[in-house]
Amino acid sequence: MSTSTITLDQLIAWLSRFRDLVTEKQSYLTELDSAIGDADHGSNMTRGMSAVIEKVGAAPATAADELLKSVGMTLVTSVGGASGPLYGTLFLRMGVNAGPVTELDGAAFGAALRAGLDGVVARGKAEAGDKTMFDALSPALDAWDAAVAGGADISAAASAAFAAAEKGRDATEPLVARKGRASYLGERSAGHLDPGATSSTLLLQALAETVAS
Amino acid sequence: MIGIVVVSHSPALARAAVDLALEMVGETPPPIAIAAGAGDGIIGTDAVKVAEAIDEVASGEGVLVFMDLGSAVLSGTMATEFMTTSDEVRLTDAPFVEGLIAAIVLANAGASLDEVDREARGAMGPKQSQLADQGGAVPAAESEDSASDAAPAVAAAASAADGPAALTAEATLVNPDGLHSRPAAAIVQTLAGIDAKVTIRDVTTGKGPVGANSLIGIMSLGAKKDEVVAFSATGAAAQQAIDTLLEMTRDGFGELAS
Repeated sequence: MSTSTITLDQLIAWLSRFRDLVTEKQSYLTELDSAIGDADHGSNMTRGMSAVIEKVGAAPATAADELLKSVGMTLVTSVGGASGPLYGTLFLRMGVNAGPVTELDGAAFGAALRAGLDGVVARGKAEAGDKTMFDALSPALDAWDAAVAGGADISAAASAAFAAAEKGRDATEPLVARKGRASYLGERSAGHLDPGATSSTLLLQALAETVAS
Repeated sequence: MIGIVVVSHSPALARAAVDLALEMVGETPPPIAIAAGAGDGIIGTDAVKVAEAIDEVASGEGVLVFMDLGSAVLSGTMATEFMTTSDEVRLTDAPFVEGLIAAIVLANAGASLDEVDREARGAMGPKQSQLADQGGAVPAAESEDSASDAAPAVAAAASAADGPAALTAEATLVNPDGLHSRPAAAIVQTLAGIDAKVTIRDVTTGKGPVGANSLIGIMSLGAKKDEVVAFSATGAAAQQAIDTLLEMTRDGFGELAS
């Protein structure tokens, strides 16, 4: 079945699947982070997303902006590490951009994600190649936009975005980190995948799986 | 009085840093709020807590925010979007411990947000010059930047007091540790209530003059016991300032065993 929109229920299913994925990959994310950071990315994301799903379950949102803003605030207050303000900003800005709607078409979802990513860039001052979550999210969003512009349905656009995120994530391995704790390591940060780019790829994987046709 | 917010990954670290700084001031410290940890004993920072702390200490004269590292800075910048106060809020790149001590002393003396921030950002100066004196670490390039930020403030304060009508008096330091942080803080705070511009020079070593309104400036003299210091004052209450300083010096800043 070809779909052209993402519903509120699908947004919630997406978040729930993201929670499952970060929980499943908790040790792996922490292992990546222990190589070049402070070894808390897995536990931070698991704690944050568990708090998000608990909150969403306790007070069901009636619109996309309400849902996404609540996700952002919950991450800000429960994560602790740098991913709190960064993922928090991503969802807060997505929510503001999405507005009080109950479903988003491909262009609207892409615009919301773009606003979120712009917020992350403004917060973290990351650029392409700095070995951050931006290196997965930015190509993913470009792939999403290209797919939607080419007439692809949500499912195909999400698959394209996930594939681009994986590629972007893998490309962070040889990079020398220029942002965050990993940048303290300089050259020694090369040879490891970036934990933030890895968890961001899980976000796209969760989306692709949720809207798979 | 400006408000001060201390953002740290660790509540224990923030509490200890604030307690250390409060040793320098008397009964009525400036408004200080701590935003540390991410709840439930989690090491981390929370932008919402930081925003609440900013709102708590804002009283119309501005708020200076100290952060330890990493996500504390991200949470600090994010907090400025969540806070409700319309006060000017400044996130300072001052060193956490040294800067906080300098800031609390100067804020307590009623200094403006600009003055307190400048003092805090120059707070590595005494440690750098002390270690350089001992042939130890040479200040790094970025440290020199922050040191040079502080220098003009001290120099400006010094030249302002060096008018033709300056009253000058000399005294010998009698307390065991000389003009270290606590006596320096006492001088800054005492002079805050006196209408005079005062500079201090170490006559024995030739260092200075520095503005007596700067904790960092006074500490940078590194004046030790038995050295002679010269106080120079202008302004309506110059005589009172000199008399007070001579008395404080004679009393060893309250540090002599009775």
